[in-house]
Order: sequence, then structure tokens, then C-alpha cells
Amino acid sequence: MQDSPEVPRRVRVTAPRTAARATGASFPVAREMAEQSEVGQLFVASLIRSQLRLALVVAGGFLVILIGIPVLLALFPAINGVTILTVPIPWLLLGLGIYPLVIGCAILYVRSASRNERRFQDLVDDD
Amino acid sequence: MTDVLDNEGLQMSPAVGYTALVLVALCTVLIGIYGLRISRTTGDFYVASRTVRPWWNASAIGGEYLSAASFLGIAGLIMISGVDALWFPIGYTAGYLMLLLFVAAPLRRSGAYTIPDFAQARLDSLLVRRVTSMLVVVVGWLYIVPQLHGAALTVRITTGLPAWVGPLAVVVVVCLSVVTGGMRSITFVQAFQYWLKLTALAVPAAFILVHLGAEGRPITAGGSAFTADLDTTADASLYGTISLVIALLFGTLGLPHVLVRFYTNPDGASARRTTLIVLGLLSVFYLFPTVYGILGRIHMPELAAEGAADATVLLLPGRIFDGAAGDLLSALVTAGAFAAFLSTTSGLVVSLAGVVSQEFFHGSVAGFRRAALLSALIPLVLALLTDSLALAGSVGSVFAFTASTICPLLLLGIWWRGLTDAGAVAGMLTGAVLCGGAIAGSALLGPDAGDRWVVLDQPALWTVPTAFLTMVLVSRATAGRRPASASRVLARLHTPEPH
Repeated sequence: MQDSPEVPRRVRVTAPRTAARATGASFPVAREMAEQSEVGQLFVASLIRSQLRLALVVAGGFLVILIGIPVLLALFPAINGVTILTVPIPWLLLGLGIYPLVIGCAILYVRSASRNERRFQDLVDDD
Repeated sequence: MTDVLDNEGLQMSPAVGYTALVLVALCTVLIGIYGLRISRTTGDFYVASRTVRPWWNASAIGGEYLSAASFLGIAGLIMISGVDALWFPIGYTAGYLMLLLFVAAPLRRSGAYTIPDFAQARLDSLLVRRVTSMLVVVVGWLYIVPQLHGAALTVRITTGLPAWVGPLAVVVVVCLSVVTGGMRSITFVQAFQYWLKLTALAVPAAFILVHLGAEGRPITAGGSAFTADLDTTADASLYGTISLVIALLFGTLGLPHVLVRFYTNPDGASARRTTLIVLGLLSVFYLFPTVYGILGRIHMPELAAEGAADATVLLLPGRIFDGAAGDLLSALVTAGAFAAFLSTTSGLVVSLAGVVSQEFFHGSVAGFRRAALLSALIPLVLALLTDSLALAGSVGSVFAFTASTICPLLLLGIWWRGLTDAGAVAGMLTGAVLCGGAIAGSALLGPDAGDRWVVLDQPALWTVPTAFLTMVLVSRATAGRRPASASRVLARLHTPEPH
């Protein structure tokens, strides 16, 4: 295959550990300074806290519902006998019902996490 | 199991099987070679230069993640244990929710290529790197073995060839495509394979349902498909169910081939978008193994009794349709199954090769190729020496193991600045010893050990918290060893990339 001008030239491949370090350095210095300042560190710490709180709340809510299903079924075995169009409730819940819940939690999280980051970005840029 | 499959009724016409297998293998190698022409730098080779678009990347993640356990194992498990089996697809899917919440964006921003790279960058310790590498390699090998068992089963049923041909064929195709193309081409191959797998389950399922409906044949047999009378295993206990869910939810975080995919996103925000699409793709996919499992309980219940439940997906279309229609649909599911072993195995081989080559071969491309061969051949030997009865179950143990070892390292490393190298090593080793010991113990006791030993069979509920606790307590006790860079690294992980 002949290299034409628009095709990128072959590059000598090197150990990626050095490459990884090099990408790290491309982080803008001004921004790094802003984040290392006392105020900047405060902003970062509060961003991490709010992201963690968000993740824990969403994960906690999801887990309570998820673990709640087998607990309820163990406490009230009569539910197993209820059917909709011959399909028992546990099959419907576990085979279909959980998936919209998973996606709902995910959308909620992605929106809120991006909002937290935008708020942080505004603070740093104002500085 | 092999004896059961000698039964005439459990064979397809070999021509159908050969055609499907050769087509999938050919497509994989061709796309792999095409990818070679655009794979030019180390970045391309390892992580596709991080320029893969979210839809491509999400399809590739789905393609890589939906393994033999998902494609064949879930329907098989529904055959033998009914409603309890539905926890497996839920856990496999919701594992990505946990990944989205706690890991996706920060890990992408870490700038590391592999989990050991992340561990070293975060904790500034070569020992942590070595221990993590070791665990990643063990996890990868253990996860490849069930894929190869699935390949053995599929090749045997569809072509009548001896079982060892399947694993060998998968390893040869994977090595060819990985060694030539690296990550960039693998991304295309994997994305193609998600859609192939979905089509291969959805199209036959739709035909079967319409056909059964039109002929007035039973679909759920008035609800008797759902009763526990068909189960050949005992009902799961509440402890067993919760422990399994914990293992699957938190095990996904630590799977090496899942993590490496996140490095191919351009930034943290797109890593989140990718994960969201993955959740959609997985949710759609997992509807279909359930359909096959339910239909199998009515139309071929004898498979469960014969210990060949994992073959349900492969044999169901031929059971419902006669002649050419049956052959065509069987060829489609066979192609999907083969795609499942190929994609998961190649994903694992790529990520293992990345780790092994940096650890032992100085990270050169030649080293990556040698490491890829090594990563594929050892599980091949393991698979040929062992036998598997339930694919979904053996994959479940691997999830418990990663949840007890790599998951605490990632979660605490990303979210807690107090983690130290000593704490990380102590926690990972504690989790590995406890969980590995429990799995080995339950294997020694055998499947008839009874309810008393479910704590060994499903260890995650106690091994995961113990590993976390050890990591936290030892880190507290060695607070002097906190790396000076902790605050800076954490800031980098959590702050959005500048635009």
C-alpha cells in the first residue's frame, strides 16, 4: 500500500506507559494552577463530594428496590400465584420491569452529574 | 455432557453448522485485517487512540460483554431453575449502572491504559501494580474458560466434530484478529458482533412466536411454563439471591475487558453517554434469552433432564420449524453463538495482552502480540482439561471474585483519598483468598452439598464487605503512606476536561 499525502504516516510504536504520562502533561497549566490554589481545592473537594453523594443516592435507591423484590416475595409468597395473561408477577417484574428502572436511574444520574460538572466549571472559569 | 449430545435428536445438520461458523470467522478476520490498515500508533493499537464515537463504542462494549453465558447460558438456566435464573441478566445489566455511577467518567479521565496502570498512577506503588496485574490475569483466564466451553458445546452440536475443535477454532481466530489489528480493528469487530448477536436471537424468536401463534400451538401452555414443577434445581434461598446480585452488580466493575473499553472514549462525559447507550442495548438483548428459556420449558423440557440445557437456544428453532426454514434459523443462532465466544474471548485477550505485555515485554507491539498468544493459549489448555455443566453459573463465580478484589481497589481509589498502597494490597489479597477459597471449597463439596453450604457457593455477600473493610482499616492504620499526589490525582479524575 502506497502512502498518499492524506493518509497519516506510520509512526514508530513505543511503550504506552511513557505515552500515558505525556498525555497527562497536556493538561493546561493555568487550569492546574487554579485547581491547586486553596479556593480551587475547595471547589474540587465539593465537586467530588456532590458527585459521590449523587452516585450513592441513585445506587442506594436502586438497590433498595432490587433487593426489596426477593425480600417481599419471601415475606408474601402469595404474590407468586398472581398472574397477568398467564404470566406470574415475579416473572414480569424480573424479566421486564427491572430494565426500565435501570435505564431511568442511569438517565437521572447522567443529567445530574453533568449539572454538577457545569456548576464546577462555571465557578472555576469565574475565578 | 458429551454422552448426552451423542443422542441423534440433539444434532443439527452439519452443513448448516459449518456454513455459520465459517461465515462468522471470515467476517471477524476480514474486519480485523481492514482495521489493521488504519491502526498505526501504539494508541491505536491499545485503545483505538480514544477517538471511537459513543454509538460505535457502546455497540462494541455490548458485543464484547454478551458472552456465551448470556447467549446460551441464561436460557439454559431458565430451563433448569425457572424464575431464579432471571437474576443473572438483571445483574449483568445493572452491573453497568454501577459502573456508570462510580467508575465510568473518572476512569476515563485517569489517562491510564489498564487497571494496573490506574493502580500505579493512583497509589504510586509498583507492588500494587504487580498484585493488580496478577489478579487481572487470573480473572481474565477464568473468564475465557467458560467461553471456550460454550464453543466446545456449540461446535459439537452443530457440526458433530469432537468437542476440542470449538475452543481451538475460537483461539485461532481470536489470535489472528488481535495480533494483526489491535484495539482499533477489534472495536469494529465487536460492534459488528453485538448487532449480529441481537439479530441472531431476535429474528428466530420473532419467527417462532408468530409461527406458534398462527398454528395455535402453546407459547406458555396456559402459564404452566412458569411453574416450578419443571425446575430440576432447588429454589434459591434469599441469601443466595442477594449474594448473587451483589456479585454481579459489583463484579462488572472489575472485569478487565469492560474497563479497557472506557479508555477508548474521547472524554469523561462521552464515557457516561456510552454507558447509557450500553444499558439500553443490554436491556433489549436480554429480553430474548428469557423468551427462549420459557419456550424451551414447553417445547423441549427433556434437555434440562439430560443436562444439556445450555443447548436450548441452538436447538429450539430446529424443533419448531421443519426443513429449510429450520435450517436457516438454526444457522443464524449458531452464528450468533459463535460470535459470542469470539467477541468476549478477543476482548479479554486484548485486555490481558495489554497487561501482560507491559508487565513482561516492555509494552512494545511485538510484545503485545506475544502476550496475546500467551493470554489465549493458557485458558485453552484449562478449557480442554475441564468440563462445564452450566455456563451462567461458572461465570457468576468470576464476578464474585472481581467484586471481592478489583472492585474495592477501583471504588476506594476513585472516591477516597485515604487509600494507601498497603491497604490496597491487603484488601485485594484478603478478598482473593476468601473468595477464591470459598469457590474452591464449594467445587470440592460438589453440587449436592445442600443449603448449608450456600455461603461458599455464593460468597460475595460476605467476601466483598470484608475486602472493603480490610482495605479501609489497613489504609487508616498506615495513613503515613498516603501518596503525596492523592489530591492532585483525585482532582484530575473528577474535574471535567477543559474544552
